[in-house]
Amino acid sequence: MDIISLLQSKPVLIGLHLGFAIIGIDLFFWLLGKFKDRIGSVKNRVTIAGIGTLALISSWIAGGYYYVVYYGSLVKPIIKEGVAPWAHNIVMEAKEHIFLFVIPMAVVVFFIALMNDEEIDRSGIRKMAVWLSGTVAVLGLLIGAMGFIISAAARWGALQ
Amino acid sequence: MNKINLVISSTYAAIISSTFVVIITIYAELSPALKDWLKSISGHHWTTKSIFTALIFALALIALYSFRKNGSDRTKQSLVLLLAFVLVGSIAITAFYTGHHFKIW
Repeated sequence: MDIISLLQSKPVLIGLHLGFAIIGIDLFFWLLGKFKDRIGSVKNRVTIAGIGTLALISSWIAGGYYYVVYYGSLVKPIIKEGVAPWAHNIVMEAKEHIFLFVIPMAVVVFFIALMNDEEIDRSGIRKMAVWLSGTVAVLGLLIGAMGFIISAAARWGALQ
Repeated sequence: MNKINLVISSTYAAIISSTFVVIITIYAELSPALKDWLKSISGHHWTTKSIFTALIFALALIALYSFRKNGSDRTKQSLVLLLAFVLVGSIAITAFYTGHHFKIW
């Protein structure tokens, strides 16, 4: 098996989707603390926001590839015919579309990270920088919880 | 590089792209023709929505940053608006699919 085939395999894609999301969530929570307590240089915050945004984009690509190539044909029918078809009809549908809010918000936070403490305070956006970083992280967590529900529904659907 | 303009422009670009996501998602579920058209572009309706969302965000950011005049600083208000849009958009999408599942609409 070559590296491309390995990266395109189902367990690896799910692992990459989740792993990159966890990195992104953790970094945006970390950034929240940096904005709140005025910790770190601009370079430090830009690095955290940049890696966090790239991690979320990577999660989007890995999860999106899995969703388009495998989920619709292999997982969705099991859930729809299982004990919890709502897990696809409501949770998956909401998850895949709410995810599309996250990257643009992360990019906004990245641009805020370019500002130094004086510029942030002069613009009066410190509290909003904290809220926005937190929203990116919390939305990421909620999307993760939705993924757990979908996986559980598929497992119970397969066991039926 | 004007950092304040960059933040405000990206914020309004995020509001525009988020609004697009909500409208296209709900409208495509109610209009099979639109969903088929989205699917015909990339092979999957969600992929097309993702590409369009990224393009709309990038183009809106470039346009707003290029044409926005310096001076008026409404950064905080724009960020509050973005948070409100994301919150309302998330609730709207979830409520729509819940109603759709229970055949309310």
